Amino acid sequence: MSSNFWTSSHFRQLMDPEDVDVVQQLDKDRGITLEDFKLIKMQMANYIAKLAQSVKVRQRVVATAITYMRRVYIRKSMSEYDPRLVAPTCLYLASKAEESTVQARALVFYIKKLYSNDDKFKFEIKDILEMEMKILEALNYYLVVFHPYRSLSQFLQDAGVHDVNMIQLSWGLVNDTYKMDLILMHPPHLIALACIYIASVYREKDVTAWFEELRADMNVVKNISMEILDFYEEQHRLAGEDRTGAAFSKLSSKP
Amino acid sequence: MSIAAPGQLNVTEMATWGSRTVDKFEKLEQIGEGTYGQVYMAREIATGEIVALKKIRMDNEREGFPITAIREIKILKKLHHDNVIKLKEIVTSPGPEKDDQGRPDGNKYRGGIYMVFEYMDHDLTGLADRPGMRFSVPQIKCYMRQLLTGLHYCHVNQVLHRDIKGSNLLIDNEGNLKLADFGLARSFSNDHNANLTNRVITLWYRPPELLLGATKYGPAVDMWSVGCIFAELLHGKPIFPGKDEPEQLNKIFELCGSPDEVNWPGVSKIPWYNNFKPARPIKRRLREAFRHFNGHALELLDKMLTLDPSQRISAKDALDGEYFWTDPLPCDPKTLPKYESSHEFQTKKKRQQQRQHEENAKRQKLQHPQPHSRLPPIQQSGQGHGPMRSGPNQQPVHGSQPPVPAGAGHHYGKPRGPAGGPGRYPQTGAAGGGYNHPNRGGGQGGGAGGYGSGPYPPQGRGPPPYGSSSQVPGGAPRGSGGSGFAVGAPNYPQGGGGGSYGGSGTGRGSNVNRNQQYWQ
Repeated sequence: MSSNFWTSSHFRQLMDPEDVDVVQQLDKDRGITLEDFKLIKMQMANYIAKLAQSVKVRQRVVATAITYMRRVYIRKSMSEYDPRLVAPTCLYLASKAEESTVQARALVFYIKKLYSNDDKFKFEIKDILEMEMKILEALNYYLVVFHPYRSLSQFLQDAGVHDVNMIQLSWGLVNDTYKMDLILMHPPHLIALACIYIASVYREKDVTAWFEELRADMNVVKNISMEILDFYEEQHRLAGEDRTGAAFSKLSSKP
Repeated sequence: MSIAAPGQLNVTEMATWGSRTVDKFEKLEQIGEGTYGQVYMAREIATGEIVALKKIRMDNEREGFPITAIREIKILKKLHHDNVIKLKEIVTSPGPEKDDQGRPDGNKYRGGIYMVFEYMDHDLTGLADRPGMRFSVPQIKCYMRQLLTGLHYCHVNQVLHRDIKGSNLLIDNEGNLKLADFGLARSFSNDHNANLTNRVITLWYRPPELLLGATKYGPAVDMWSVGCIFAELLHGKPIFPGKDEPEQLNKIFELCGSPDEVNWPGVSKIPWYNNFKPARPIKRRLREAFRHFNGHALELLDKMLTLDPSQRISAKDALDGEYFWTDPLPCDPKTLPKYESSHEFQTKKKRQQQRQHEENAKRQKLQHPQPHSRLPPIQQSGQGHGPMRSGPNQQPVHGSQPPVPAGAGHHYGKPRGPAGGPGRYPQTGAAGGGYNHPNRGGGQGGGAGGYGSGPYPPQGRGPPPYGSSSQVPGGAPRGSGGSGFAVGAPNYPQGGGGGSYGGSGTGRGSNVNRNQQYWQ
């Protein structure tokens, strides 16, 4: 959606980190920590991306779906809103909102295919349709989401970046930001700038002059960049551990 | 409702998140009905505020929440403008307490979802159809300017309305005009590269490019509709009342000329151009047909009703047109007359008198049939703008139809039952008032009346393509009936036409094919 971000509900709903990183009481009762909370959301973001590949929708739909999912868990507990159902339903809703409709039937088919050996992922069409209503309500029917992609390509063009590797790296970085809650907290164009910033350092391309001319708030851009780098570091450190399984088993435990 | 945190009382009525339920409103009466769902006038119990509730029908939805509703909500949530209807909130209905087996039913969505809109007193068509209604030139300019301002705002925000027509232009008693019913609207990208459905816009207001099958189009489609409305305001009745697509195109060609590669480069590549191309080229005679219009008005209309969408005037340029900047200037909405019908008793009485008067007029008319007789326009600065549609020659045939009890309702959509049919006024064969159009929607109704002297074939208000000529008065699926004087809520302003919050899927003329909406 390309109308003005600054007048949008997306802008008005941007949140501070301390409001995003709140585990709902019901989940706390089951022993879910903030780390578990973030982990499950990341896992569900991956799940959405994987499903999206099967049903063949654009990255934009994936990004919107993940944003919906993250917004839902600002207000709803994972105990009541099973992430394994919320995630595909967000994709279903996002596919409509982004005009790339996917049939509920197709989603159910691919969920079954991807998780044929996991009973926790058994859902029927009616489950998705019912969850869709609950998600709409949890989102307060605000469905318009802005993403960094549009500004990213404009910025790269404006900065005169033609290095394909750098362009691809920036895109990949933006994709990865959806594994975190950045989209709930920062204006998309600043997320795009942070990704360009990281990519430029990584590819040793000097875009300092261009950044200076931009007059964007470089402190914010650097903070976002740090968050992204911290995230990668964390992933690297914890690579190999199956923490998600543990987090999910907490969720299904009785409080 | 919000749930109070432990140890705290829930003292706020308004939940910060999550929707309230519809029982916070008291339904006053149904004011519309469409394929989409019903529209009700309702009062918010806590505040007493009057609102319009548009129900989103959920049954028969195999794909969950309808994508059409998603589009409308998405668009309405991002548009904030004085000339665009305001979506106040969305509420849910608890639905039946028990399911079929008598078990408690936990699904609070079963009962449906309602969009809550600000309430508007009239719609443009309903207002124009009021007995004896005549718009002054400053008033027409005022409405047109608001229409264009609202539409310009939509277009700047990359939203196509795709169903601009009189019954979707709501007017309140402050003279404010707002675009409503975004049920067919969608966002567009500036490159016009996406394929969009051409089955949009009510037939009479549908531009030639859509009729010729174009699937790539932009804001110009809305501007054609605006041109049709503008002409209708000046001319007194719809100018292209086609009964099906071919006839619609013919009517357009007869007035605007036939398209060719000279006046519309690229037209021959539009899918159905060859099917509809007239045998012989037709000359454009718009300026000739409407030569009695004021010069600036005609100039603007000419630019709006330009066949080639790429040459058609934009909302922004139209607002800059001389028409709006020369005397008489558009008036301030607040200075417009208030069509208060809050005292229902009085309006009923007025209508009685009107009817009497019209009957007399008709008797005279039958003795001296006149060509093309509308009510005399209000003369202002020597301009000859006629009233919108007040032709005495729109005679109903249902002369013997029994009087309809008042209260048959509002004008949001389909009247209920036979009583509220097109002849929602007692039709005692009245003529001249122009408010009882029998052919308003269902069935050819009264084509035989004294029409036919205008520049157009005797269609008058338009027989829709369906409905045969059974003349069943109740079957009129009209977007907004004539003026309605509702019983039951005597204290609310009624009158011109409460307008369509979009509940009225079916409007005048043959309508958009709403079951095509799963198209893009």
